[in-house]
Amino acid sequence: MSSGSSGGAGGQPATHSLAFRVMRLCRPTLHVDNSPLKFDPCDLLFGEDLFDDPIAASHLPRLLGGQSSAAAVDPADLSYRGRFLLQQPTDSLGLPGLLVLPQAFGAIYLGETFCSYISINNSSNFEVRDVVIKWFRSCIMVCEFWPVSSGYARVELNFEDIDLLNYAISRTKAAEIQTERQRLLLLDTSKSPVESIRAGGRYDFIVEHDVKELGAHTLVCTALYTDGDNERKYLPQFFKFMVSNPLSVRTKVRSVKDNAESAVVITEVMLMKSNLRPVSSVNMLFSLNKLSYFVMIKSIFSQDTTFLEACIENHTKSDLYMDQVEFEPAQYWSATVLRAEYHSSEPSSVLSETFKEPILIKSGGGIYNYLYQLKFSSPDKTQFKAESSKILGKLQITWRTNLGEPGRLQTQHILGNPVTRKDIELHAVDMPSVIMLEKSFLVGLNLINLTDRVLGPFQVWVSEGGSPDEKAVVVNGLQRMTLGEVQPHSSLKFQLNLIAVKHGIQKISGITVYDTVEKKTYEALFEMEIYVDLE
Amino acid sequence: MDPSESESLPASSSPINSASASAVEDPLSSPYASLNSHCHDLSTLQDLACRGAWRTILDKVARSRSLSLLSRPHEHLIYLTFNVLALVKLRRFADAQQEFETLDDDLGSKQYQFESFPDQYPNNKSGSMVPFALRWLHAHLPFTLGDRQLSLDRLYVLLHFIRDTKLSRNRDSVTEISIDLWRKRETFVINSIVSHHLTLKEFKVCLYLLKSETSKLEDPFMVSKLGYVQMQYGDLEGAKRSFELVEKMVEKSEGGDANSNSNSNLKNLVGRNKALTYLVGKDYVSAVREYEACMERDASDFVAINNKALCLMYLRDLSDSIKVLESALERVPTVALNETLVVNLCSMYELAYVNHADIKKTLSTWIARVAPDDFDTSCTRI
Repeated sequence: MSSGSSGGAGGQPATHSLAFRVMRLCRPTLHVDNSPLKFDPCDLLFGEDLFDDPIAASHLPRLLGGQSSAAAVDPADLSYRGRFLLQQPTDSLGLPGLLVLPQAFGAIYLGETFCSYISINNSSNFEVRDVVIKWFRSCIMVCEFWPVSSGYARVELNFEDIDLLNYAISRTKAAEIQTERQRLLLLDTSKSPVESIRAGGRYDFIVEHDVKELGAHTLVCTALYTDGDNERKYLPQFFKFMVSNPLSVRTKVRSVKDNAESAVVITEVMLMKSNLRPVSSVNMLFSLNKLSYFVMIKSIFSQDTTFLEACIENHTKSDLYMDQVEFEPAQYWSATVLRAEYHSSEPSSVLSETFKEPILIKSGGGIYNYLYQLKFSSPDKTQFKAESSKILGKLQITWRTNLGEPGRLQTQHILGNPVTRKDIELHAVDMPSVIMLEKSFLVGLNLINLTDRVLGPFQVWVSEGGSPDEKAVVVNGLQRMTLGEVQPHSSLKFQLNLIAVKHGIQKISGITVYDTVEKKTYEALFEMEIYVDLE
Repeated sequence: MDPSESESLPASSSPINSASASAVEDPLSSPYASLNSHCHDLSTLQDLACRGAWRTILDKVARSRSLSLLSRPHEHLIYLTFNVLALVKLRRFADAQQEFETLDDDLGSKQYQFESFPDQYPNNKSGSMVPFALRWLHAHLPFTLGDRQLSLDRLYVLLHFIRDTKLSRNRDSVTEISIDLWRKRETFVINSIVSHHLTLKEFKVCLYLLKSETSKLEDPFMVSKLGYVQMQYGDLEGAKRSFELVEKMVEKSEGGDANSNSNSNLKNLVGRNKALTYLVGKDYVSAVREYEACMERDASDFVAINNKALCLMYLRDLSDSIKVLESALERVPTVALNETLVVNLCSMYELAYVNHADIKKTLSTWIARVAPDDFDTSCTRI
């Protein structure tokens, strides 16, 4: 899989003393032999049940005496018994620990390191001197001129760049000039050129390059040398390959806020009578003057919990071992990875420590999911609300393939769900401790203007809702209430006179606020569950 | 050579085992006096196999058959087994399949039992005459003909056969040696299965099977293989832990074992594992050092030799890496002449020489002179 070169694309009849031999030097592989075809002599020379017979069994050691494969391998022993007899029981696995050099160029993926062995051979009969070697990642080209006795400038050009070609043609008898553009120099021995390579000799080097960009790559290796005829020659070798994406990461962000669809748990507990106001973040407690009290847990999660689900898909041709997958949260965010508990049914032993289940993503489309719980904690609460698009952080992925060949990638910033900027908010600030059936009660509400402008005047009513049943809680009195203007970042308190027509656990819902100036209707701003007591 | 006929001596009590009171032991005419008394010219077959002279074996089997030199049923089976093995070694898989077609599909059928031939095998000799290798070859063959799945199925069936019928027998009814042999055969079959799963990159299955094999922590070589599998898919930390376990096991066993030979085997195992750990950490210099220590202890440790050469290459020393492999082929050809080593050497030649065809030809010619019949010459890529 080594490849050679025969000079640049200049159309010049290049007879070079030097030639490049190149081999990609990724990590070797461990050889697996499916047919070692090594046997225990007992399995070949005798019937399988022969030694059930005690008499036969007693003769076995003697019969095998001369065939012992455990005997030391005598260098003078010219037999190939090692290819026929098992020396260890594990020989039949065919995994002797033999390393094999990479046999093909293979695919190159973003995040990997491209490594290559390059050997410059002097196949001529003369010594070659002052060899300057450059090895670079080229986008355009390099163009070098040097004085040549016959008076014309000899140019070795790369492709694609017409401007430079024109420039080259326009120059003659130039002193040594180098024009280079956009090249990433990886190796340069011009300060200390190789003094000489003898006839039939070699100069080797290994180049490594972290692949950080996708798409077509050209790696150029050039040697500038003086040959046996005292001519200065230029030999480029081009290496073209494609870099593709090894993984794709798909993320899903779920934020769980208060009043969101979360579990509603109602339990009957004995509590001291208390008159707690509903708290917007965690839970709401209602208390009654009866013996039993109902605790309603509206939202299990605190306001600022976000869950990030990341799905990694493998697009490469080999299985990827996920060495490290870490989420790096952005400022004010903290992350915990959530893992399923793995309970092995086998008793734990020394081995179970060594043989933890590896995370291996299958080649060509295999996936694996990671789940993170993210929390936002900032001393300044408004920080959270102010950001219209939340940057949650980045995912850092390190994977390995055969013999630990590493690859590293980082995702872009992962964004959370944009917080919909609310204009107004409605909170309950005063609730009666007891609500009786068909007895009106007052609910104190606070309308908060979150914007920078004056909002209102408003109209407030309780809508019918889509349900065919009669509403359980209706407005007592004027159905429509008018509220005045609310200044920016300010609030307005008002009271709703309500009456409950059904008993039990009921909902105050459908409170609608209408901005008469902006002609905007705000629905579902407020919902609350109450307990309606009988007489 | 006429195989000795069954004993016709008077039935007297056997000093060996009262359980088989009717059997007698006459050292001169016992069928177990030597390999050859057990089966016609068996020692020659064995010797040819050790020398890798598989083509000669094919000739011998053909001749023995045509000249009717095999008189007893079990001899036919043994010769057939060697014949199949030779064909498989020579990669003549279709011909091997043909040999199997001469047999009954069911290797457990009556015609392969001693009981079916009371004239040939008196004294109530019982059991299967089939050499175990023949069962394994029967399972292995479909893979060589392109049907890996069928081979895997047959191997699993064979595994169950061993576990359900042979290893589950009452200890008192069978000899210790027999149980021991069947345990080895169980390991043999499991190893073949793991090898297939490994080639199919089904690493989790491999881990599961190897875990159950190594749970008793008896064989440091087996635990090392586990480490190699972990390295192969990239779990370097896991491999390191496996190798540490191997080192502990070897330290424990070293105290009692006075056999210096197996000692150097074990020391080299630990050394090679250490070298691999250095290698994956890109510390090639330390890896070379470890491999050299192995070669000092055992000059024929061809795994150490091969891997050392590769390390030299990664150290940019192509010339020396070639020298290491060439000198091994010269010094210990019967050990070093291994297809993988030759593949590596040829890769190095292709890198080192513009006109590598010449030097590969030289190598190829030498191989043709020295190699056994089953050597796969396609590895030189000429």
